[in-house]
Amino acid sequence: MNIAYLLLLAPAPALAGFGFLALAPFPMTRRPAALIGAVAGAAPFFIMLPVLFHCFGGGCDPAKIAPIMTLTFGETDVALALGLDGLSVIAGTTVSGIGALVLLYAVGYMAEERGRDVRRFFALMNLFVAGMLSVTLAADSIVFFLGWEIIGLCSFFLIGYYTDRPRALVGARKAFVMTRIADAALLAALLLLFLEAGSVRLADLIPAGVAMTPERQAMVAALLLVGALGKSAQLPFQTWLPTAMVGPTPVSALLHSATMVAAGAFLLARLAPIFAAAPMVAGVTAAIGLATAIFGAICALAQTDAKQMLAYSSISQIGFMVLALGLGAPGAAMAHFVIHAFFKSLLFLSAGVLSHSAGGSTAIRALAGGSARAPMAFLALAAGAASLAGLPFVTAGWYSKEAVLAAAWDAGVIGKLLWLLSLGAAAVTAAYAARLILAAAAPGAMNAAPNTDDRHSDDLARPSIRAPLVALAILALLGGVLVGPILHLLHEAHHDLAFIAVALGAIAPLLGAWVGYRLHAGGDAWLHTPFMRDARRGGQVDARYQAFVVRPFRRFKNRIARADPFEIRLPMPKVAAAEAEAAPIGGLLRRISRWRRARRPIRIRLPGWRAAEPVARLDLVGQATVSAGTFITRLATRALQPDRIDVAGTGAARAVGGFAEFVRRVQTGRVRDYLFALALGVGVLLLFA
Amino acid sequence: MMGGTMLIALLAASGGLFVAGAFGLVSRRGVLFQLISIEIMLGAPALAFIAAGAYHGNAAGQGMYVLVLALAAAEAALGLALYVRLRRGAAAEGSVGDSDGISELKR
Repeated sequence: MNIAYLLLLAPAPALAGFGFLALAPFPMTRRPAALIGAVAGAAPFFIMLPVLFHCFGGGCDPAKIAPIMTLTFGETDVALALGLDGLSVIAGTTVSGIGALVLLYAVGYMAEERGRDVRRFFALMNLFVAGMLSVTLAADSIVFFLGWEIIGLCSFFLIGYYTDRPRALVGARKAFVMTRIADAALLAALLLLFLEAGSVRLADLIPAGVAMTPERQAMVAALLLVGALGKSAQLPFQTWLPTAMVGPTPVSALLHSATMVAAGAFLLARLAPIFAAAPMVAGVTAAIGLATAIFGAICALAQTDAKQMLAYSSISQIGFMVLALGLGAPGAAMAHFVIHAFFKSLLFLSAGVLSHSAGGSTAIRALAGGSARAPMAFLALAAGAASLAGLPFVTAGWYSKEAVLAAAWDAGVIGKLLWLLSLGAAAVTAAYAARLILAAAAPGAMNAAPNTDDRHSDDLARPSIRAPLVALAILALLGGVLVGPILHLLHEAHHDLAFIAVALGAIAPLLGAWVGYRLHAGGDAWLHTPFMRDARRGGQVDARYQAFVVRPFRRFKNRIARADPFEIRLPMPKVAAAEAEAAPIGGLLRRISRWRRARRPIRIRLPGWRAAEPVARLDLVGQATVSAGTFITRLATRALQPDRIDVAGTGAARAVGGFAEFVRRVQTGRVRDYLFALALGVGVLLLFA
Repeated sequence: MMGGTMLIALLAASGGLFVAGAFGLVSRRGVLFQLISIEIMLGAPALAFIAAGAYHGNAAGQGMYVLVLALAAAEAALGLALYVRLRRGAAAEGSVGDSDGISELKR
């Protein structure tokens, strides 16, 4: 039997769990809801495991397909299917495995929430696991896009999980809108590929994409890149991810660090041949990835909130993946995807426990004393941070980051520059990881927040919280052994670095950690420098978007909406004359601006022309454009006024009403009228007879 | 026995009676007059039965006349009962002698 058919079972339990939790028509208390959610969400992992072993045994070559069903639209067959190859199995197993551990953790973590909310949470998490699995396992663009949209939707609902917090709702809306913009680009790219290939199978789309003319190829690749950047929160879409951290910790751990945001990297890896054929776009990809890695690392260093730091860290780490993909090394990117999923979910989960023990605060300062309050969570956090920093040889992060750096090293002269820059980003990564650990290791009160209720202090007593931490900590430290097999599975040669590169790569994290230690020991003064303040707000990109894009657009829109083609504003003669006399020679610009300020609206109006509101300021060019446009539109539509089809439609409607009014009069209620009609009818019938 | 001409004349008279009764029923508004008109309309078939029986020399025509008489009596009894009910309407509704006044079913 084709083992690929086993894949069809993988998203099924999670989908069933979602359906049951969402639709079961009876109330459910917290415990059964959590149990059902965790079991259904963990089941896919146990289906993916045998597939993974089969794959490591060489069962994935050649790629296999498990058809779901085929829809026929006219001449086109839309064949929905799941595919079994190295990429889908690696990503699918990672997603389902991390999903299982995070859901297990959530059983304990969410134990204090209300039953109704717990049910909603687990239903959405199950839907997410099913959606993410269909993204990773998809063998056609339809299932892929469907899963892509499902995870976007789940992300929206889960960011806004605390519906009574305005920040959560704002964050959810922001994430949704930002990713929607990118999704539109992705949809356009997939449709263009479909037109090119005449098939939705990825196995057909990719060769068709490779064989396209360079111009079309560049366009499709660029659109795909935009889609991936949006989902993965890369520059310039990165602003949604930090605000998405208002969701519960398991959501941040699973969706907004380990799996969903890495879906963009997965997309690029899946369609890597198209990017390999479009070197321009690949170069842009690498540049954006590197820029994001550096930007995210610096922003993470400047944070004062642990969850925010981890959010920027995710942005930065996915930047490394995108860099590797731009350099044509999807194997290295996927290796980093897997290892990053391990250590980032570990960081989030252990930070969640630490923040619970600190009375619910996620500030880095509040973590002080965490090593004494929750030693196990602290050790897990240390393991995750060491892996994030990429401490040489003893952590998994080192091996996957080396794979990425090696891909850069081998990419020619420019590659050496990229290597150097990404080494810098890695050093900054180590610095902020060290900051996080040192903050948690610092002495602090055993009970950091005595006035808050102590309900979360028993987190570590729950086995459902301890088990995922231990499992992920082991993976984050020893998962490095997986890098080789992953590269092998994706048919990518392991780059052998020169000794000097390995040595520098090993020194950089240590150097970064030392810088982090110095920063930690040196007090908080450096955090208040303008540069760090700016970085703490993510470069204030939001404010700049607002100033340079949103506000001008809104102004332009208002101008168009309000423009009154026959309104001309003239200056008040007296003031203008005084101004002109007072103005120095050469102060022409100033004079014009004063003239504009001293204007008075004079309206010249023709009947039938109306503006909604007075124009805010004189703008001859804008008004001329708009009035010319309006005039031409009016000319063009005059022949169609009034719209005859419209008139006919209204007339028909009126006729029906009138006829009904007429017929209604027949019913008088008078006996003799009815009798008369009866007699008349009988008489007519007799005449015919 | 009687001739064909006589039969035609009698049937014409019967038709005239029916039409007169129907006209009265449609044109009069008083319930009592309408009842009388119905009696006239009932008389028309009775006359037709008698004429046809006499023409064919068959007693069945006269038998049918007796049936029609019984029907007319029953109809008169029902109609008068309804008329009495209408005239005795509750004070709030007012008594009704006019068939145009009983049009509530229209609503």
